[in-house]
Amino acid sequence: MSEVKEKLFKELAAAVVDMDEDKAVATAEAVVAAKIDAYEAIEKGLSAGMERAGELFDEEEYFIPELLMCSDAMYAGMDVLKPHIRQDAVAEKRRVVIGVIEGDTHDIGKNLVKIMLETSGFDVTDLGRDIPPARFVDTAREIDADIIALSTLMTTTMDGMGEVVRQLNAEGIRDSFKVIVGGGPISQGFADRIGADGYAVNAADAVRLARRLTAAEAVAA
Amino acid sequence: MSLSPKERLLNVLHNKNVDRPPVICTGGMMNAAIVDVMTQSGRTLPEAHFEADLMAGLSRDVQEQTGFENFGIPFCMTVEAEVLGSEIDFGTLECEPKIRQEVFPSVGTVIYRDIRQMLDAGRIRKVAEAGLRLAKAHPDVPVIGSLTGPVSTAASIVDPMQFLRELRKDRENSHRVLTYVADFLIAYARLLVDGGASAICIGDPTATGEILGPRAFEEYAVEYLNKVIDGIHDAGVPAILHICGDLKAVKPLVPKLRADAISTDAMVNLRLLKEEYPTLTTMGNVSTYLLEDGDSEKVARTTERLVKDGVDIISPACGLSTSSSLAAINAMTGTVKESR
Repeated sequence: MSEVKEKLFKELAAAVVDMDEDKAVATAEAVVAAKIDAYEAIEKGLSAGMERAGELFDEEEYFIPELLMCSDAMYAGMDVLKPHIRQDAVAEKRRVVIGVIEGDTHDIGKNLVKIMLETSGFDVTDLGRDIPPARFVDTAREIDADIIALSTLMTTTMDGMGEVVRQLNAEGIRDSFKVIVGGGPISQGFADRIGADGYAVNAADAVRLARRLTAAEAVAA
Repeated sequence: MSLSPKERLLNVLHNKNVDRPPVICTGGMMNAAIVDVMTQSGRTLPEAHFEADLMAGLSRDVQEQTGFENFGIPFCMTVEAEVLGSEIDFGTLECEPKIRQEVFPSVGTVIYRDIRQMLDAGRIRKVAEAGLRLAKAHPDVPVIGSLTGPVSTAASIVDPMQFLRELRKDRENSHRVLTYVADFLIAYARLLVDGGASAICIGDPTATGEILGPRAFEEYAVEYLNKVIDGIHDAGVPAILHICGDLKAVKPLVPKLRADAISTDAMVNLRLLKEEYPTLTTMGNVSTYLLEDGDSEKVARTTERLVKDGVDIISPACGLSTSSSLAAINAMTGTVKESR
């Protein structure tokens, strides 16, 4: 890697970690001006920075406000770089349908998972909050998703998660998707009980889980 | 020593001697109007969110059937956000009300309204009236008025993701919104106290160490919780504060909070917290999930341990699921009452 390129990638990552939107934009513009590959700059610059931010979140150095500011810097840089990505450079992305289950409108956790998945290279369709089980199933089928990600903060709405799995079973398409669950009242035990493929304790963990499940799928295929 | 439930609770909150800990459920975030109670009494939600007599009646049903030694009103966390302009989904028998849509996209766009006028809006007067009826009819049982804390109320009128960002990005307007919300909460609390509330409990689930981190918790949560707590003290009653989630990121900040009791979620070991801060009055923390699970024996054992650990007020850890069983709750309240 040329020195200029390496320096710019490092600066992109630092801009994300430092929550500096302006610097992310300016550095991304420098990448474009230097005719450096935009896709590589996203991967090795912005995404690397976001991964570091995720580590800091895991280590309780960063909390939700910081993580959101990092992701703002990341998206600002992406907006500059995206138009310059060469089509042949783009790898096929894994697709995720995400949402908060019906009855619940708390979506801070879901939004964090969405951001972390997106910045880790997943293509995320966000249904929003208070979403009936059938819509997860329909959307997953429509976009040919790899993963269905379900979130809730309320014990009273946990049943809706099991309902998604039941509907997938009833329609005979359970094996087409990995179902992952998370949120305050959710545990690994609950995930096992309803027949989900995995449980993540926080947003960083959700990325690891999604990667693990889709990697396993690639091997199986 | 024979104490009425009100004397017992107030004694604990004023650091005076008691025969045993009170066992309470404060309403608001810790709503105890579970489905079991409502199907027996016929006074139901969501209707009781709107009418003072129904609210008072249901609160009385809860107190009688659960054994909790207080009245806790209202039954939701949306009274404040409704008055401040957000759109509310009032839920069902099983499902508590929630914010359908926050009214402002950012802290910079908040429209500031006259606080006195807002006290006549929404369900504010109904809650105060329900409190007044309960206090008059049952002078020995404490009425606890429950507030949604300043950080959670602010995050219920401003888009929460944007709000969390702006705690760092737009500190000036963040402080302005929180000052406004805190002033409103103090005025609302004062109204409840005028109506006979013996204590005010603040639940502020967005103000956690896990969400905010220690820096923002100190700058915003400690600052505005204390402002509201001081306002409650000025109104002449003690203040209880519930902090959600794991305390560890913000534990050193706990002594800075001026509440008369601190309630925590189930994962916090209150015995150790008390060892660390001996002057702290603790409240909690029978696991919400354990109570929902319904194993009365386990509930009784956990409750017994908490009493033995010297927890000052026994209460569900982080509210109650509406599908909790009366048997499990009575196992909890019964264990405390036999514990003298």
